[in-house]
Order: sequence, then structure tokens, then C-alpha cells
Amino acid sequence: MTVDELDPLIHAPARLRIVATLAALSDGDTLSFTRLQDLTGLTPGNLITHLRKLEDASYIRTEKSGNGRASLTSVILTRLGRDAFHDYSAQLRELLGDLVR
Amino acid sequence: MSERFDTFSPRHTEPDPFAAALEAGTAEEDDAALDPRSAVALLAETRRRTERGLDLRPPWLTFVAAVVVLVCYGALWLSVRGEHPYTGPAGWALGTLYGTIAVFAVLNALVLRRATSGVGGRAARQRAIIGPGVAVIWICVYVVQGALHHAGAGSAIAYGIWPAAGPLIVVGSAATAYEAGRERPGTAAFAAAAVVLGSVACFAGPRAVWGVIAVGLCALLLAATAAQLWQHRT
Repeated sequence: MTVDELDPLIHAPARLRIVATLAALSDGDTLSFTRLQDLTGLTPGNLITHLRKLEDASYIRTEKSGNGRASLTSVILTRLGRDAFHDYSAQLRELLGDLVR
Repeated sequence: MSERFDTFSPRHTEPDPFAAALEAGTAEEDDAALDPRSAVALLAETRRRTERGLDLRPPWLTFVAAVVVLVCYGALWLSVRGEHPYTGPAGWALGTLYGTIAVFAVLNALVLRRATSGVGGRAARQRAIIGPGVAVIWICVYVVQGALHHAGAGSAIAYGIWPAAGPLIVVGSAATAYEAGRERPGTAAFAAAAVVLGSVACFAGPRAVWGVIAVGLCALLLAATAAQLWQHRT
């Protein structure tokens, strides 16, 4: 196992924060953009850039409700994203085990 | 720019922070290299931060609940311990009970509001169903109390054993089933222990039942606080 084999979509500081935050929610729960920004500590521009990458890979999905100023966009970790995060965590543990040995 | 993330405003009153960032051209990328040890540290920090941010019942709130139980049930016990014959808790004790519960309910609502802000989906739907369900259960406990009085039960039962132990047994049973269904053995065990405490305390009689529950439930909540703190550290 090498670092290069880790999922590059998750293995980046900002995206790791995003996915780990969403994975802490129960399956099927959503998080608003502003609360996600608050929990990850990322700037809006940075957060949106990484959300796009994750959405393009179908790791997350966005849901929009309302219109205009009353609109609210929420982010949800898909089954694919949750599985990818679990695989990433397992690979990371395996990798660290190799490094320790 | 894509229209996918055109507006983000959970409070529905503030200008959209995302749109402002897009207009200012502040979108940036951060694909910096991350070594595995840093990744593990980042994961742990993120998990800790998220769990604290979304915690519906932080340890300090459980500790406050322990104090509230001791004050409320303790006041009720003090007001009835010298009664012969037993007539039920005095007005000042009931005032202490309702006043303390009202303050705690407001505190609980503030914590819940903060923790669930921006969280939707399945959890929000469950909360919308559970809230009224628990309210109905609580109300029914007191409807039964009225029925006991109506059926001619003495003050020892209608104003002593049942109002002291009934809520613990009925609400605790519902909570045990709910927590077991959500595969949370720790909180299910706590709720089951409350049911056992309520059932056993009935043997203490209409006066001592208040004192037994005051001490027993306070001890259970303090144990729960310790368990939560231990869980946060590991």
C-alpha cells in the first residue's frame, strides 16, 4: 500500500474535512452549505470549489429548496461517497501500519 | 459559473455568502500534498469538531439534568417527608419543580436548536415525529394520575407513588425501546436503568419514593456524564 493508491478525491485537506464532516451525520441526513462551512472552517469560495469536484464524482449530492433569498442548498453524502470514505479510512490505517513496521 | 450552487442562505435573511464569494472571484483550490499521519490527525480533529458541533446532549447538559433532578425531587421529598397522613407535595415544592423544569426546558431547546441548525433529511423528519410522540406519552402519564384519583385511589397512590415513579417507568420504557431500535446500547441501558429505578422505588412508599428517585436518578445522570466525558476523550 502506498500514498499514491489513496483516493485522490478524498486525500486533500479541504475535501477530507468536507467528507469526514458529512460522514459524521447519519445516513440520509443533509447539512446546509453555511453549517458545512462553519464546521469545516473553509471559505465559501474554497468550499464551493471542492464541493463541485466531489459532486462530479457523485460522492455528494446537493438539494435546493425555496427560491431567491429564501432558498437553501443542502449537501448530502451519497452511498458511493460514504463507501469511498470508509475505504479511504481503512487504507489509511493500513498504510500507517506499514509505515510503523 | 455553474448554477448548481447559486444560493446558500439557511437563515433566509442574510446575503448569500457563496454568491458574494463568486462575485469577488475568491474561489480557490487546495490540493496540497498530505502525508498519511497528517491525514489521520486531520480526520480525528474534524470528527471531534463535528461531533461537538452536532451533539444534542453535551456532558454539561447531562450534569445540569442531574442537578435539576436532585433539586426537583429533593424539594418534593422535603415537602412530604413529615406528612401524616400523606396528602401530597406542598405548593412551594410544586412551584420549584415546574420553575426548574421550565428553565431546563429552555436551556435544552437552545442546545437542540444550535446542534440541529442546518441539519435536515432523515434526522429532522424523525425529530418532527418523536417530539409530539413524547409529548403525548408525558400527558398520558398525568391522565392516568387523574383516572387513579377518579377511581378512588388514595393520596399515597394518586399524589405519591404514581406521579413520582410513573414518568420514569413509562417514558423510560419508550426511550429504552427507541434507543435499542437505533442500536445505541449505552443510552438504552441508561433508560432501562431508569425504569428499574422507578419500579423499585415504588416499594419505598409515597414519602420516600421522591427521595429514592432524587438520589438514584441523580446518580444515574452523573454516571452518564462521566461516561460521556470518557467517550469524548477516547
